[in-house]
Amino acid sequence: MPAGRLLVAYAEAVVHGDAAAIGRTAQSIRQQLSDAALVDAAAVVATFNAIDRVADASGIPLEDEKAELTADLRADLGINDFPSQAGVA
Amino acid sequence: MTANLHADAAVPVRADLSAVHQRALDRLARPGTWLDGSRRLAIAAETRNSGRCSLCRRRKAALSPYAIDGHHDSLGGLSEQTVDVIHRVATDPGRLTKDWYQLVLEAGLDDSEYVETVAVVVTVVALDTFRLGLGLPPLALPTAEPGEPSRYRPAAAHVQGAWVPTQSKDQVSDEDAYIYHNRFGANIQQAMSLVPAEVDGFFDLVETQYLTGAEMRDFDNEFRAISHVQIELLAARVSAINQCVY
Repeated sequence: MPAGRLLVAYAEAVVHGDAAAIGRTAQSIRQQLSDAALVDAAAVVATFNAIDRVADASGIPLEDEKAELTADLRADLGINDFPSQAGVA
Repeated sequence: MTANLHADAAVPVRADLSAVHQRALDRLARPGTWLDGSRRLAIAAETRNSGRCSLCRRRKAALSPYAIDGHHDSLGGLSEQTVDVIHRVATDPGRLTKDWYQLVLEAGLDDSEYVETVAVVVTVVALDTFRLGLGLPPLALPTAEPGEPSRYRPAAAHVQGAWVPTQSKDQVSDEDAYIYHNRFGANIQQAMSLVPAEVDGFFDLVETQYLTGAEMRDFDNEFRAISHVQIELLAARVSAINQCVY
């Protein structure tokens, strides 16, 4: 995937609010992809930073069919151990 | 024509993004369903203030946030319970629990008001995270518009899986059917359906910043300057950091 690691680093910088890392990774996205790619990446990160809070604050469950389809993947990635899933917070 | 809200960015920002962000700001200032414009803006300001709260920092660092008592550093004007909701949703959403939500209700916050408060918080998070991603400060909050909230509660909403009452696409009344227009009715779209106007407002933002449902499932075409795969990689990384299981 083009610039996959860079996009991950950018997402981490934004969610953690690391201004220096945002500056570095944003500049790299502009150079490796485009200015428009940076804008769209910022918009996607912003969306999911908000959507995650909708899900967590409402207690909305994952759809059954999605849970079944992703059961192995979620176990492998340790998602089932997240506090909100395990109810251990 | 909408003024370019992001004229201070180092890169050109899509006009539809500027327009949807203006609509989101306008919504924050208008009377909502249970909260008037002044209260919605107070919640918006408190959302931004949560990053400066010492109690939230201690809770974030703790093994369990529920083991740490204290008072939030707040701007004032909102109840301690409302401030607690705002700060926890803003700063530590992955460790919210149903037990905590029940305590919020027992402390006197109405479930509808809770949902609208969450909606305001996430709107501000979406707006501010976008600006942060471009290295920009948050947009100024608008001035409150006068008027009373509608106090509309959908009769079809009931508890059915989520902590909060919801109405699914196949249960929604004709009056509220607009919230699922051109939407698949995914659980995340149902999450705030106790306050229908907030579903429509928030997903206006989501569909412009991310993709519409139809665009998300159309793998034959790309709709942004990054591909479907790149978009989903970003989404997955953000959700993993937030420890969101949805």
